[in-house]
Amino acid sequence: MKLLPIILKRQLASYACTPSTYLHIAAFLILSVTLARYVSPWPEQNSSDLQVFFQFHPWLYLLLIPALATRLWADECSAGFLGLMKTMPITTYEWVIGKFLAAWLVVGTALLLMLPLVIIANYLGRIDNSVIASQFFASWLLAGSYLSVGCFICTLVRQRTVIFVLTLGLLLTASGLSSILDSLEHQAPIGLIDSLAALSPSLRFSSIDDGKLTLRGTLYFISMILAFLTATIVKLNYTHS
Amino acid sequence: MPNFFGKKMIEISNLTKHTGNTTILSDLSFSANQQECLGLFGKDHRAKTTLLDLMAGSTQPSSGYINIQGLDIQTRALKAKQLVGYQLSMDLGHPTMSVKVFLGFIAAVRGFHGAEKRARLEQAVARLDLFPVLDAPLDALSIGWKRKVAIAQAVLHNPALLLLDEPTEGLAPEQKHSFRALIQSLTQEMTVIIASRHCDELSELCKRALVIAGGRLVADTPLPDLQRDSRHFQAVTLAADTPLDLLALAVLPGVAGIEEHRHAPGTVTVLAMPGHTIYPHINTLIASRRWKINSLSLEPGRLNDVVHHLSQEAPL
Repeated sequence: MKLLPIILKRQLASYACTPSTYLHIAAFLILSVTLARYVSPWPEQNSSDLQVFFQFHPWLYLLLIPALATRLWADECSAGFLGLMKTMPITTYEWVIGKFLAAWLVVGTALLLMLPLVIIANYLGRIDNSVIASQFFASWLLAGSYLSVGCFICTLVRQRTVIFVLTLGLLLTASGLSSILDSLEHQAPIGLIDSLAALSPSLRFSSIDDGKLTLRGTLYFISMILAFLTATIVKLNYTHS
Repeated sequence: MPNFFGKKMIEISNLTKHTGNTTILSDLSFSANQQECLGLFGKDHRAKTTLLDLMAGSTQPSSGYINIQGLDIQTRALKAKQLVGYQLSMDLGHPTMSVKVFLGFIAAVRGFHGAEKRARLEQAVARLDLFPVLDAPLDALSIGWKRKVAIAQAVLHNPALLLLDEPTEGLAPEQKHSFRALIQSLTQEMTVIIASRHCDELSELCKRALVIAGGRLVADTPLPDLQRDSRHFQAVTLAADTPLDLLALAVLPGVAGIEEHRHAPGTVTVLAMPGHTIYPHINTLIASRRWKINSLSLEPGRLNDVVHHLSQEAPL
């Protein structure tokens, strides 16, 4: 684990060097504010938290996460660089986790850029800051679980467009699962719906998003991250041997 | 012959590598001592690269063992990798990193930091003379510069074993001289294994030659022995403006034959019989006939021909 900070730093520098990172973060922020402003007008709601902003995050991450995920292994696209990295004394754990943490930190930065909203909300009315903190945290966890999925997909295919489309498709299914479940409600047995609903990240997210930061919800996201990262490591170890 | 640690630098025994149904290397064994320079020759580029990859630990052998200073490359991969520096034949490319950042990253991965990292970087940059391109992105470099950066990256941590794959590719002829000096200075410190298709360029550098053909090691001999096998060993090439008296040359003692150069009239190569020296006789002939000769050279033997010949003979 000695080399993890070095790989993390390298990946952060790689994100900082790419204009598309800035573009996607800007688009993410602008969309999350405009959606909240026009779809469900925030100032009129008179609520004590920022739920209107966070409720769209499962959908907005569909834009940000695939873009960040394609950058994850973009450096290793050139055969020469990948070949060289294989001869370095780096373990696959350091490699995958370092890269994942860097991308997660970038999402964290994007979320922190929403801080002015919190200040404005505090200025405008009575706000429960602990609820907002838990909403931020939940959104960050959700981003982490999406990213780990993207990270895994990147190891399966090489072409950047395919990675983008696959990640988008998978996340779209995950986000759309709840609406599919709603339509199934009268046809399928209740047990099936319940077990499917338990898997949907957006349902989990909305339960945390209300300000109830439960251990169950947090563990769900963390276990999802760990599962997909382990899958990535296993896949990479398999292809390299 | 053991070195003073009582251990070989690298030992390879019964190494075999398959991919899919094809066998790339089969039952290969050799060892190398410290401060030795080995040339790895053969027509099959893939076999040579695979052998270097296996030694660097980036692919796993199907069977057999590789020990580097007593460390097994499979079971103690991380420690063994730290002892190896590898310049790959594939082009080094990266869209954003500059040469300086790239070397800094590799130095950090190799475990250096602070003042030691700076010193190592300076040493490697000075050795390869990379000052003009330090701030250029890797993708913008020419093939020759990329090779140099790749070699700089490989010698950064003073490895015990240095693997070079086609290192002279893309280098201008005047750079090849400084490259030779560099390899000679590196051989003082480490074991160097060079895979190349330009065997003759390496004849002065390498003391030992390994020839791979059909996935097998067909020759493991001192390089001069390999040169001695050449038809052109001890051959003399003469060039003159006027046609030479070929009959007079042919009847000299020890002459095996004469080759006329089709594209350069007036230039001939006189071949020597094995074990004979013909250079003095030709000199005497030139002096007595008062031939006006433009160039006269003694050949060390053509390694490319020998390697080609060995590859043809090898059973597939």
